[in-house]
Amino acid sequence: MKKKKVIMVTMTIILLIVICYFAFQFVNQNQDIEDAIEQEFRSLRIYMEEIYAIEFLDDDRAMVFYSWAHPDFSNFGVMELEKTWRGWQFVEAISNRMERKNAWLKGVYAEITDHAILRGPTWASVDKIVIITDDGREYTPELGKAERQIWYLILEDEPFEEATFILYDSDGEVLREEVLQFDLNS
Amino acid sequence: MNLSLKYKVLMIFMLLVFIGVFLYYYGAKVRQEEADAEALRDYSYIVREYALDAVYKSKENPVEVELYPSAYTEAILERWKAISDRYPEFEYPEAAIEEGDWFKVNRVIKDAEMLKDTVDKMYEDATVEFEGLKGSFTTLLDYIFYQKYEPSNIEDILIDLGFESPREEE
Repeated sequence: MKKKKVIMVTMTIILLIVICYFAFQFVNQNQDIEDAIEQEFRSLRIYMEEIYAIEFLDDDRAMVFYSWAHPDFSNFGVMELEKTWRGWQFVEAISNRMERKNAWLKGVYAEITDHAILRGPTWASVDKIVIITDDGREYTPELGKAERQIWYLILEDEPFEEATFILYDSDGEVLREEVLQFDLNS
Repeated sequence: MNLSLKYKVLMIFMLLVFIGVFLYYYGAKVRQEEADAEALRDYSYIVREYALDAVYKSKENPVEVELYPSAYTEAILERWKAISDRYPEFEYPEAAIEEGDWFKVNRVIKDAEMLKDTVDKMYEDATVEFEGLKGSFTTLLDYIFYQKYEPSNIEDILIDLGFESPREEE
């Protein structure tokens, strides 16, 4: 009789653990990354933000490109998130000030966890950017669109201090050429 | 089940100890979360106001944020320094800036009396005629942080005193 009781209790506990595990999995799988991002902004006390792009580095790593702060969204942030058993969690975030004013293009070099990133605001009419470095490397950065627009490049090779940026419109016409310099120590 | 009184008392005592320990840790956790939230709110404010670059290494227990001045921060500090050079009582916290203690820097400029006295002196020293009301203590904060002229007559005063270059003729 007593043995039966112990078995019953043990079984119930095991069942509960299994149910909990699947419930967590279910919630995790269905967690909307945008909700998680929203929650991270609130906990960082960042208000008035605009999200340009969410870049998935792999299944459980993501980078969010955004800008924040009243009145002109001049603080450009990148936040790295990791998917854990508790869902999407904050890893690290960076913020760089870049005032748009009338500039066609701005850009900074920054590091977040073990990634090197170049990014900055650009004019909304820009449809494509080609970057050419002094040593002849060529990159096509991604464009992140919201009400405003940014360009960003996650570097996988050596960073560079200077490069020419060629801006194209949607018809493939060159809008402008600009040379940007990057401080690699920042 | 017949439990002895001694056993019952022991059970209740154990239960109370558990509840006590739980409440203690829960309370401590809530207090820690509030302190973290407060710290992050302060960082958010200081990053925005001083146009700083920031690295958020950790957002809880302990909060770890590294702050670095940007080119826009330098512009803010230049405007502040220029006023302080002419009006030494308008304190420029050189040491705190060098240490990168932006919260200390911010406490210096939030002295309303110092701001008001300086702005009054600027209106007295200016040789140009101006219309409308004189600026208040927020006038200098608007100018230093946002290069905003509020009230608009402060722009002429700042040009006249040599803080800003004359407007280009259109």
